[in-house]
Amino acid sequence: MPPSPPETRASLILRLPNAADAAAWDEVVAIYCPLVFRLARRRGLQIADADDLVQDVFAAVAKQIEAWLERTDRGRFRAWVLRIARNIAVNRLSRMPLGGAAIGGDWVCDFVETPVRQSELSNQFDLEFQREVFRWAAVQVRTVVSESTWQAFQLTHVDEVPIADAAGQLGISIGAVYIARNRVMKRLRELALQFEVHE
Amino acid sequence: MNNRKSKCNDQSLIDLLQAEDDGVPAVAEHLEHCQQCQARMEVLAADPQQWRIARQSLSCNQLDAFDDDDFERTWTAKQFHRTQSAWPESVVKQLLSPPSHPEMLGRIGRYEVERVIGSGGMGIVFKAFDTELNRPVAVKVLAPYLAGSGAARKRFAREARAAAAIVHEHVVPIHNVETDSETPFLVMHYVAGESLQQRLDREGPLELCEILRIGLQTAAGLAAAHAQGLVHRDVKPSNILLEMGIERTLLTDFGLARASDDASLTHTGYHPGTPQYMSPEQARGDSVDVRSDLFSLGSVLYAMCTGRAPFRADTSYGILRRITDTEPRPIREVNPAIPEWLELLIAKLHSKSPDDRIGSARELHHVLEQCLAHVQQPLAVMLPESLQQQDKSPPHTTKFARRSVATVCIGLLLLGVVGLALFPRNNGNLSPDVTQPSELSRHTGIMANDPSSIQTTVENPSALRNQRWQANQHEITELIGEAASIQSLIEQEWTIMPDRTESVPAPSQTSK
Repeated sequence: MPPSPPETRASLILRLPNAADAAAWDEVVAIYCPLVFRLARRRGLQIADADDLVQDVFAAVAKQIEAWLERTDRGRFRAWVLRIARNIAVNRLSRMPLGGAAIGGDWVCDFVETPVRQSELSNQFDLEFQREVFRWAAVQVRTVVSESTWQAFQLTHVDEVPIADAAGQLGISIGAVYIARNRVMKRLRELALQFEVHE
Repeated sequence: MNNRKSKCNDQSLIDLLQAEDDGVPAVAEHLEHCQQCQARMEVLAADPQQWRIARQSLSCNQLDAFDDDDFERTWTAKQFHRTQSAWPESVVKQLLSPPSHPEMLGRIGRYEVERVIGSGGMGIVFKAFDTELNRPVAVKVLAPYLAGSGAARKRFAREARAAAAIVHEHVVPIHNVETDSETPFLVMHYVAGESLQQRLDREGPLELCEILRIGLQTAAGLAAAHAQGLVHRDVKPSNILLEMGIERTLLTDFGLARASDDASLTHTGYHPGTPQYMSPEQARGDSVDVRSDLFSLGSVLYAMCTGRAPFRADTSYGILRRITDTEPRPIREVNPAIPEWLELLIAKLHSKSPDDRIGSARELHHVLEQCLAHVQQPLAVMLPESLQQQDKSPPHTTKFARRSVATVCIGLLLLGVVGLALFPRNNGNLSPDVTQPSELSRHTGIMANDPSSIQTTVENPSALRNQRWQANQHEITELIGEAASIQSLIEQEWTIMPDRTESVPAPSQTSK
């Protein structure tokens, strides 16, 4: 019988040299999953196809991990996996025809267009990636700060409610709103920092 | 004024950002009025680019620009798996139609949903009421992120049907499987009671009889599934339900772990608990067969003996390493009340190689049944042979037992002799004509050591008797010698035994 998802994941993280790598893998998955899905959907893929593409990307990354483990000069796992995941994702997405229609015999045309699309996609990808990182970070931060602290940030910064109004809504002082929103932002930034890919 | 000025410095703002607690310090008042500090703090928290990205990524409008409902739902569901938090009401509501009764949570198919009884990565379980058959049921709804994938739905249906085919008194019956609807779901018998996990959390280690009873009933349920080629893959205390009152054990969640094979690698939060009850082959990602379930059941038995899972660590990575690489702490170190044979049985189930484990759930069920019978009637029922052999090797308790067996044997021998010796004395008084004089005197002869018995025998001073007495005297001493040598032989045999069992290729655990 083929292994089930927890089994597959277990076997993968077991082969990673240490626990921090396993955590890094989980984080990369947590960010790439919606990211690739979102981009695939935006390129016109059906939900099921977008899901398949996500699977595809991770299967490819997992395969690369095998090779990485064989290497003697391997660097930090997190940096490596972020880079490899990006390359594979951009590559797979660029092979997907826009609008989700099958490519007929027009492959030459497709081929010619690829470089342009590739760089365009690349930029789009990086921007989306950054956003996804912040979404992920937001989920993390939200679990550690109090609800009113989070709301102070959400209301004043994201929903653009004036600070005085937010303070009134939350029943805290204006000063407290300032402190709360800045604290949240600082934590978001710190978490996002781990995902900066240094080439 | 001076006071205010002193507050306008970066360090105090940095400290403020750094502080862990959500409390509002005195500086807050200053910050409320000092625009300079307000702006400065914003810069210290993050640069403008980051502030902008944060707004873009978290703003709902941004998502709406290109997302449709399906996407939003899938994504939201994934978020919950990732954070492993409880399912919020909004997601639950999405799964259900509005209720037809105000006190109900909602409706799915013909089932009125009353409340949530459990949730996990795979889906969410409701207590519901079947309006047509008028009975309470448990409805398990497939998680939306899985429901979106056609392959996962198909597998869910297939596995659910396979599970529904198992009809056994120790398996939770499946009444219905609905896979055509937008939200696939499964209708099960509603079990009033608690899970074994809840019981362990509440009471800690269980009584020996309880352990054996729950173990053997679970093994019976597993055997029924294995007979149909279905591997459970997720045998753990939270999947073992104990019916309220009669405490019947029911196994649930058959094979459903595989319903999401097609949504493999990516759903990290899929397994919301820890992989504490996985087998080594599962942990390694090797292919698994029915013996994997037996390892897991071994872990469940261990948990019942000690109140906690055998392989524990802070991270799932650590747990998996332990499962594949180490032996759990000996049960009797944690709970000395557990008999040695049970510890040995569990160690056998915990063999890293499936080949070394007990061969099948049926066999395990049989062994546990015998164990339970033995515990309830130690004199009438022996332990299963496999556990008796194991019993020989470890030290003192068994050595003591062996010696006492030997002593009892010799004791019985002597007692019989004495009894027979007394028998003819009474008899002899009643009928002087003894039919078997030689045997009689042989036994009375043993009594020669006892002055009183000599007296009784010498009371009848017949010449013939005296003669026989002397003739048999020799025979008697020989007999006593023989008894002694038998005793030493027996004792010798006992001491050799452990060596023999060790020379037989026995599971490594026994030689600890």
